[in-house]
Amino acid sequence: MPDAPDILRLENLQVHFPGRGGVLDHILGRPSAAVRAVDGVDLAVRRGEIVAIVGESGSGKSTLGRVITKLIQPTGGRLLFDGDDVTSMKGFSALRPYRHRVQMIFQDAYQALNPRHTVFDIVAEPLRSLRLVTDHTQLTQRVRQSHAAAGLNPPEEFFARFPHELSGGQRQRVVIAGALAVAPDLIVADEPVSMLDVSIRAQILQVLMDLRQQRNMALLFITHDLPVAWLIADRIAVMYLGRVVETGTADDITFRPRHPYTVALRNATPHVRGHSDREKLPALKGEIPSAARIPNGCRFHPRCPLAFARCREDAPPTIEVGPEHTTACWLMK
Amino acid sequence: MTKLTAESRRHLRTQAIKSFLRRFLGHNGAWLGLLALAFFLVLAAMPGALVGPLQTAITATGDFLIPPSTQHLLGTDEIGRDVLNLIVHGARTSLTIALVSTVISLIVGITVGMTSGYYGGRIDAWLMRTTDFFFVIPSFVLALVITPVVLEVIGRGGDILGFRPSLFVIILVIGSTSWAFVARIVRSQTLSLRERQFVERARVVGTNDLNIMVHHLLPLLVPQVAANGALVVANAIYTETALSFLGLGDPLQPSWGTLLSLAERAGAASSGAWWYFGAPGLCVLIVSLGFVLVGNALDDTFNPRRRAIP
Amino acid sequence: MKNPCQQAKAPILAVEGLAVDYRLRGSSLPTIRDVSFEIQAGEAVALVGESGSGKTTTAMAIAGLLPPNAAVSGGEVRYRGDRLPIDDDAAMRPHRWSEISVVFQGAMNALNPVHRIIKQIAEPCQLQLGMSRDEAIARARELLELVGISAERGRAYPHELSGGMRQRVMIAMALACSPSIVIGDEPTTALDVITQAQILKLLTALRSQLNLALILITHDLSVVAECCDRVMIMYAGRLVEDGSVADIFANPKHPYTKLLIESIPNPEHGKRMVRPIPGDPPTLQHRPSGCAFRSRCPSAMPVCATEVPNLKRWEQGRVACYLHPPMKHEEKALANA
Repeated sequence: MPDAPDILRLENLQVHFPGRGGVLDHILGRPSAAVRAVDGVDLAVRRGEIVAIVGESGSGKSTLGRVITKLIQPTGGRLLFDGDDVTSMKGFSALRPYRHRVQMIFQDAYQALNPRHTVFDIVAEPLRSLRLVTDHTQLTQRVRQSHAAAGLNPPEEFFARFPHELSGGQRQRVVIAGALAVAPDLIVADEPVSMLDVSIRAQILQVLMDLRQQRNMALLFITHDLPVAWLIADRIAVMYLGRVVETGTADDITFRPRHPYTVALRNATPHVRGHSDREKLPALKGEIPSAARIPNGCRFHPRCPLAFARCREDAPPTIEVGPEHTTACWLMK
Repeated sequence: MTKLTAESRRHLRTQAIKSFLRRFLGHNGAWLGLLALAFFLVLAAMPGALVGPLQTAITATGDFLIPPSTQHLLGTDEIGRDVLNLIVHGARTSLTIALVSTVISLIVGITVGMTSGYYGGRIDAWLMRTTDFFFVIPSFVLALVITPVVLEVIGRGGDILGFRPSLFVIILVIGSTSWAFVARIVRSQTLSLRERQFVERARVVGTNDLNIMVHHLLPLLVPQVAANGALVVANAIYTETALSFLGLGDPLQPSWGTLLSLAERAGAASSGAWWYFGAPGLCVLIVSLGFVLVGNALDDTFNPRRRAIP
Repeated sequence: MKNPCQQAKAPILAVEGLAVDYRLRGSSLPTIRDVSFEIQAGEAVALVGESGSGKTTTAMAIAGLLPPNAAVSGGEVRYRGDRLPIDDDAAMRPHRWSEISVVFQGAMNALNPVHRIIKQIAEPCQLQLGMSRDEAIARARELLELVGISAERGRAYPHELSGGMRQRVMIAMALACSPSIVIGDEPTTALDVITQAQILKLLTALRSQLNLALILITHDLSVVAECCDRVMIMYAGRLVEDGSVADIFANPKHPYTKLLIESIPNPEHGKRMVRPIPGDPPTLQHRPSGCAFRSRCPSAMPVCATEVPNLKRWEQGRVACYLHPPMKHEEKALANA
């Protein structure tokens, strides 16, 4: 897989939302700082590869997912899909071929399914909307296949059901079936298991892993949970405050993290069995700042236990620290 | 889809309808309202079979201003027409005007409200300012403006779809003043619905805006619209009465408001002819109360805090 | 105040045969059944289960905070040997907060948005301990420092604090009346990992500092490993296993516990695979007869369908499964017949 061509490529991608100051700021005409949710992300996903984006809430990881699925427009940088620049692609009909190839799975399947639609209609919706299938027999066939691939067996039993009649795991499988119906090349999964019960999480992860095996489909898996990322992903990108601070293979990030934030994240992650090198780094202080007030220099420096003078002034470049392993930290220079 | 699933789907739907009816009819008000409405709908549906054709209503059949008797159950008016006969035919006119104008206001209100709420931004601002204009415009003033236009277009004697010009004016006036209320409600609902994640999913799977509005949002708006639609009808009945009372009605297609207006002009109140103004007055009251009761019961039934699934 | 030596043996909290029913459209649904356990002073116990397992219901029943459509239908809860009036809200009031207190999950919902946090912490001191306003404010400042917030920050409103800070305020409020038992209802679920680690660390520190008994309600087994001595696993309203943290992770007895641990991705384990538990947790309305886990259990036997296995002492802990202790051949034949 390392030599497979890129299916998705982000170059210095930015999403800045106009700031919304308080009433007083408005009256006094004070400009309010823009919220820099995604602030210069470089990332590539290869064909058939699973890349996990790991970060806390406020790191911009969900915004990144929404840009890639074209729910919001980037404000800077480039978004390349299969070699084509799709950065400014807009509008329903222009996006149709893109939607055919890029799909999404949501965190809360209950919210992502219309309560008035049957499972059949939900899974058939992308096929109808994108006009991929017009013939009813063929449609049923495709829907049945998607059900089976997402582990909804026997498919016919689910066709006429409504979302509220399903369990949490089944609902997430319906969302997955819907995304699969168009046979996409890339699926963006935004925290697809975080709302599920522990015993169900593994089922859904298994479905996604099997799909990659069978369909050679790329997956961008957004999560806050490092062990889950390690389990499912080939590579992991760690995000902090709108930027990728470290990328590497799942094993590199989990066992040989180089950026102090990744180390802190790994140390903070509770484990079923004890940790060997847990106490190497002092615990982080404070919490992730707002994306409207990004610190100067390295954006992690106010919380970094290893920060030094340079970190406060210049933002660190991305440095290669090993094969497929990069990090943005002055310590590595 | 296999036969089995189609069947179970139908079964599910009947079950949903049954449970809705059970909850809806659990309200005493709903029963009362439905009974009243059913009664008047029957009157309006077949006045010919009940009291004879319209021609018999608008021609004098007895002495003038006689109190209720076996021959004239609700007495006669100042030119000797049977009041019962007039009331029954008036039911048809009044209810038709109310329902048609409600349909107009629902169509316009839903379209404007949903477009405004879904797209937001500048479209929302413009549409809502327009809505505000229609929200505050007095219906009588609007009627004065519209009347000459309509008369010019269709002529004093002609008719549009069976409505004589003055009734058509009333329908237009009610329709254009009451849609703003519907639009406001629909817009606020749409604003909260469009934030729901299934709308986002619909966009990702390639569903266009029109289909999102029609297939995703509209079905979820139905409860609110239905509950408020009943109130719109009640309001339309009142407005129709008021406009006809002020003289916009058509004596050849008398509505309850027209009757009230005639009674007033004939001095029925001062001459003690209570049946003349009492009968149409009571009808207006009962019908609008019926719609309000049904609307409230619908609102209660659809109340999000009491149902598990929207 | 409290002398730890005095209660070394007698449990501070004893729950016996606790049963709670929910009323739903006229019918009464058994939600938890036959929950029995003891907690020693200063002990940290986790109550682990999936949604619908009854873990929160158990905790709320102990604190006398059940919702109006739920009622205790059996069993009792004893605090230092005295029976707690858990089904009587008014009688429970003097015990709540000063003996047993609760840290809730959603700190934003539990805090009043229009009052400064210092006032909200001082309030229970005034109401429960009869302190004067100044005393209560002084106590609140003390509590804020205790949970790692500078007393000056007390002038802030809840929305001005981050999620982690709000959770600290919730902990301060729970500690206001010096309780001996704190129930944490998923106190870190809504938080990010780094903040979660900070809060868990704080709870552990406070526990030893104040000799608190801690009941941690959670769905996340890995959180438990960080800060608890003992784990109780709940499934479909019953305790299925109870044992020390070390024991449960190294040698889980109940098939559910075993599968639960295996379904959590664990990098330390090395192998990149999970073994999902088939099926879904049962809903309140559709719980299987006998052992509720049997429909998902790889080692279910015919006897599991007929009778609910009791929670029996086995080795160092307790387990409710027909596999423990292993039945002899003839016994098994008899039971399965």
